[in-house]
Amino acid sequence: MLEHYLSLAVKSIFIQNILLAYFLGMCSFLAISKKVETSVGLGIAVTFVLTITAPVNWFLYHFFLEKGALAWAGLPEVDLSYLEYIVFIATIAAMVQLVEMILDRFAPALYQALGIFLPLIAVNCAILGGSLFLVERNYTLGESTVFGFGAGAGWFLAIASMAAIRHKLRYSDVPPGLRGLGITMLLTGLLSMAFMAFSGIDL
Amino acid sequence: MSILSRKSQQVLADPLVANNPIAVQILGICSALAVTVKMQTSIVMALSVIFVLTLSNTIISLLRKWIPGRVRIIVQLTVIASLVIIADQILRAYLYDISKQLSVFVGLIITNCILMGRAEAFAMQNPPGQSFLDGLGNGLGYGLILVTVSVFRELLGSGTLMGFHIIPQSMYAAGYENIGLLVLSPGAFIILGLIIWVQRSITKTEEA
Amino acid sequence: MRSNAYTLTFTSAVTIVLGLLVSLAATSLKDRQALNEEIDMKRNILRSLHIPEDHSRKMSEQEILDAFDQMITEVHINREGEEDPNGDLILYEKKSGDRIEGYAFPISGKGLWSTIYGYMALEPDGKTVKGITFYKHGETPGLGGEIEKDWFTSNFIGKQIVDAEGHLTSIQVIKGKVDPNRKEAIHQVDGISGATMTGKGVTAFLARDLETYNPFFENIRKGMHP
Repeated sequence: MLEHYLSLAVKSIFIQNILLAYFLGMCSFLAISKKVETSVGLGIAVTFVLTITAPVNWFLYHFFLEKGALAWAGLPEVDLSYLEYIVFIATIAAMVQLVEMILDRFAPALYQALGIFLPLIAVNCAILGGSLFLVERNYTLGESTVFGFGAGAGWFLAIASMAAIRHKLRYSDVPPGLRGLGITMLLTGLLSMAFMAFSGIDL
Repeated sequence: MSILSRKSQQVLADPLVANNPIAVQILGICSALAVTVKMQTSIVMALSVIFVLTLSNTIISLLRKWIPGRVRIIVQLTVIASLVIIADQILRAYLYDISKQLSVFVGLIITNCILMGRAEAFAMQNPPGQSFLDGLGNGLGYGLILVTVSVFRELLGSGTLMGFHIIPQSMYAAGYENIGLLVLSPGAFIILGLIIWVQRSITKTEEA
Repeated sequence: MRSNAYTLTFTSAVTIVLGLLVSLAATSLKDRQALNEEIDMKRNILRSLHIPEDHSRKMSEQEILDAFDQMITEVHINREGEEDPNGDLILYEKKSGDRIEGYAFPISGKGLWSTIYGYMALEPDGKTVKGITFYKHGETPGLGGEIEKDWFTSNFIGKQIVDAEGHLTSIQVIKGKVDPNRKEAIHQVDGISGATMTGKGVTAFLARDLETYNPFFENIRKGMHP
């Protein structure tokens, strides 16, 4: 069983990186990856929120939204799965708020470090994408949690490496039209190609 | 084009090239690239975004004087999410095959930064008519890039366009091969990078 | 700053209006969506049984429903391989008149990422693969997603699910190309490059599902139609 979870984690971090293979979380990735410190901060925050929202949304989907999920309330015919998107995004926004308040209260130092990034996360596609994927792929609660963590860690890895590359890039002579977004996209392409090498890993 | 005033024309045309949401404003790349393997899926994706964006801009603009400042983000998100659900339901009912291929990416329109970005930056300050045009213009600009990327990826990656074979069999017989890399994710990044390069060289946009 | 009461009223009003709109859209389109799912299921059962003969032709919705009604009979069988209205296994028989031309049954299991769903069809001899389709999956487009393509599924046609001694031997998706000179070749199909894990998943669930349905096909192979 442990092996299964480990394999899922490796898959979601390396083989099918949520950013490099599914293009999720690109906006904040492109905007924030200019500096290594801020990238690391945002990366940690995303991992944190994804690890929490994935199981919470799993719970909501399986006990409220899925067809027949309301059987425990005596309503086996009700199918609310069309409300999936709105419930997930609301949960994510609420969880971000909650995390913000808890951190502020109990870990002020961490809050200082992550504070400015937390509101940004609510509209990060990687978070919503993580929740939608776990429904589409029929994950169990345990798998969802591992996948949430893995996807977050994968995103963290991608943004941290990109920030490091862009740091080095400051001293290179990039053609004018390619500066900024253009070269970052090309580099992301190369990074994504490099990550594809992991697809041979057999677990 | 005398139907529209000068200002309206500008609102509509500006985001197509000069101020393109993807290439210049860096908005909305998230949910976009994954669907560009085929032209058909990207056209449907672009239409869905145009649908949601014009309506959300119009609705938010209509409500702009009544939305309480404290809850404005949540209200915007609710409007957008509801519109996305409606779009998704329509796709499932009338374009089932394509909606299956788009899978979770229709839902991800919600977090597409274009929607929140335009709502905050334009619809909250401008009247409904102009917001509608702004939504339409930005949606079209977004669609333009999406379809361009998909044309390259489908034509060079699979030798087809809209599912029809374009590259003649004789080319394959002569040793031509599809570029498999373009079908995979790195292809999307590289094509988009190159398109941005060309676009910015023409419009002379520079980033520090 | 507006009062809390106003904020609350406003948000409730927005929520109610939007909630009504969304529910209206979902409810009014529900029948149409259910029909789509039914057609998709039937299309794939028919495809696994080679209807239409020419795979590139797309049947209209009405054609699919008609063809299914005319040619396909749904039967329930139990785990012992007998026809049994209370059995939990579903089998689709393709008939032309009284003659059975093939059997299709649902297959599903984990690929690399997602649960893959499909149908497998066997010839009336109960040991030769007639066809296979995969219709729902979340595998990577261009890699694992290739399983739904014709070039991959057509490799299954004509493969055997029993060896020379008559023992069940499931079809294996191997890594790379099948060597036609080896004697296992009749149980193997070409893998998809870059999607070894998807292939492994398919191999695993085919073995499991064939095992489940084997009692029924065992009876057919022995010549006793249930």
